[in-house]
Amino acid sequence: MSLDWGLGALINLNHPGHYIHWHVIDVSVANLAVMVLMVAAFVAALFLPFPGRKHRRGEEE
Amino acid sequence: MSKRYNPDVDVPEYKGRYAPYDILKEGTIALVVVLILVLGLAITFGSPDDKAITLQTWSKADPVDFATTAFNELNGTSAVAGYGPPYNTNGTSQHFGFISPAKWLGVHIPINTARDFVVTPLESQPASPTLSRALSQWTAATSATQTSWLSAYSNVSSKASFTGDQLVVPAAKDGPVPVMINTLTQMARSGALDQALETSKGFYTTDFTKPLLFLSDGTYFAGLAQKGHLLGTQWGMMNETDSYPGQAWLWLYTFWYQVSPFNTSTSADFLVWGLMMILTAVLVLVPFIPGVRSIPRRIKLYRLIWREHYRDL
Repeated sequence: MSLDWGLGALINLNHPGHYIHWHVIDVSVANLAVMVLMVAAFVAALFLPFPGRKHRRGEEE
Repeated sequence: MSKRYNPDVDVPEYKGRYAPYDILKEGTIALVVVLILVLGLAITFGSPDDKAITLQTWSKADPVDFATTAFNELNGTSAVAGYGPPYNTNGTSQHFGFISPAKWLGVHIPINTARDFVVTPLESQPASPTLSRALSQWTAATSATQTSWLSAYSNVSSKASFTGDQLVVPAAKDGPVPVMINTLTQMARSGALDQALETSKGFYTTDFTKPLLFLSDGTYFAGLAQKGHLLGTQWGMMNETDSYPGQAWLWLYTFWYQVSPFNTSTSADFLVWGLMMILTAVLVLVPFIPGVRSIPRRIKLYRLIWREHYRDL
């Protein structure tokens, strides 16, 4: 019995991917996007202030 | 005598202020955020939806490639037939010097490609006079006769075509081989070969070893993998089908397959695995490696993360 309820993804990624080739490096655009997001999240975690930090510091003082 | 203070392993006693910290609250917030992200991404992008490739798919899409591979299985010239342990003793297992775990473990998934991929599945077919005669002829023949039939078929197999739902091969002194290969091709096209190879150990099974090995011996499956950028030489280990992101964290594992000496070695899988195990051990042992363990202290990234604390000091 099929469980296909006719619901599809909003963005269809079931089509051939795009790849960036440079010397020995061969990476898909999708993977590159994930890597860029990971680096961005890391940098944001370094530089953005901790949420609620000011409030907590105020409580301590 | 007091021990000398080592900044990499010794921790000075903390004499500053303490602040309350609710780990349950933080954990719950993280769980909810990740749940929202997962549901949001699932609704937005869905998931890969490639249909499974079976022997039926292959033999319908490229019957000549299937028949050629089936003949190689019968002839004992396929990659699996000459792979060595764990399937048989016909090849050298992957090794580094004298280190050869596959050889040490021996043949524990025994596969005789002629018997397991061709003869036994054909024997499971409903009796047909032509097939029964061909199988009797094959099993009754001496090894030398079988070899002469295989050799004769091999000489004409490059001219094989598929017309009128039948495999057509020029006439040769190849005994029962054309009937066997044609029947196996028909069997594959009907889906019966997938069933025969999956259920050879019982009625219910999830063991796809045999159909996968058979599939891997042809050029059809590798062609699809190449088209989808999934081959080992294409960093395929970190790719997903179609336009989905894949296993980006396997970048280092798959990187080694692209460079010498791994990209030309017949033991590449074992060498890359061994190297990654060594690198993983180094990573685990970082706190014990002088110099390397000092890097976090020397680059002072922690002072950026805890900048408010260090500003107050």
